[in-house]
Amino acid sequence: MDILSSLAIVTLAGLVHASFQLSVSVLTLLSGHTIGAKRSHAKLLRLTSSFIFGTGLMTVLLLSFTSLVLLNIFGKNAPQLIWAMACGLMIGVAIAIWAFYYRHEKGTTLWIPRSMATYLNKRTKLTKLSGEAFGLGLSSVVGEILFIIAPLFISALVLIQLPAIWQLIGIVIYTLVSMLSIITVWVLIGSGHTLARIQQWREANKHFMQFTAGAGLIVLGFFVYVYQVLGSSVGVI
Amino acid sequence: MVQAVDIIKHGGSRPTEKFLRDKLRSSLVAACLSTKAPEGQAEAAADAVCDKVIIWLQQRPEVTSHDIRVVAARHLKSFHPEAAYLYEQHKITI
Repeated sequence: MDILSSLAIVTLAGLVHASFQLSVSVLTLLSGHTIGAKRSHAKLLRLTSSFIFGTGLMTVLLLSFTSLVLLNIFGKNAPQLIWAMACGLMIGVAIAIWAFYYRHEKGTTLWIPRSMATYLNKRTKLTKLSGEAFGLGLSSVVGEILFIIAPLFISALVLIQLPAIWQLIGIVIYTLVSMLSIITVWVLIGSGHTLARIQQWREANKHFMQFTAGAGLIVLGFFVYVYQVLGSSVGVI
Repeated sequence: MVQAVDIIKHGGSRPTEKFLRDKLRSSLVAACLSTKAPEGQAEAAADAVCDKVIIWLQQRPEVTSHDIRVVAARHLKSFHPEAAYLYEQHKITI
């Protein structure tokens, strides 16, 4: 696979990752609690920046770790079976997103168990230090690992084929693109937009986001299957 | 003055507790401040909503915390719709 196609796949996978909402929900709550507790705007920016740094770092670590594991097991060229499995994983996760990602109730309640949601809510309320916000950012990425695993896995498979410098560039691209949604919310909060308007937008467009995340994964799965699995088979014949 | 009202916590997993006006007030003030309302306006709205919730509680020996949230949000809507929206959304954001 050439470098341009590889980076295009990584970018689309990053966009799918960006449409997952746990980090955005936690960031919205964190901002709400911080403003509601009459803390300064500088404190708000410190906490939210630390949170975003935490999500970015965890994304880098997860993608690097997955790539390293795949590289150690398969070397630079993973077998066709693994590519086919990755495509199956993407289709399966896409269907799961359409079916389960949002609960069928008011607000933007996600699939995560209610006990975990309550814990995150309490933890967010208790967050006063930048270090705590950083930890919250790390855990909000891990909390969505069941859905993130699909774009992460295909990105890792694509990245291990590339030369080392392009692998680094790919990791940076994936991380930045996957953080687009929280960076957007962070900028909106920092520039004075009210949380109510941000949350209203999220609630009004949640089904659209859910649909695009699932559709993005299906398109990606189909493309990779045709390009990497069928393309190689035809090439062999 | 409100009679002693038992508040049944969400899901019944935690023990009931007595209604505390200050606890309700501080959550309403926080919701108003989250929408960048001035502090005075936030406190005035919270006091007015607390009064209305207490009137609603007069005839009820026990209610759930969810009931209080719904009633408080309904009254807050007339003072500050954005704050009422955030107050409603607090438990259903994640």
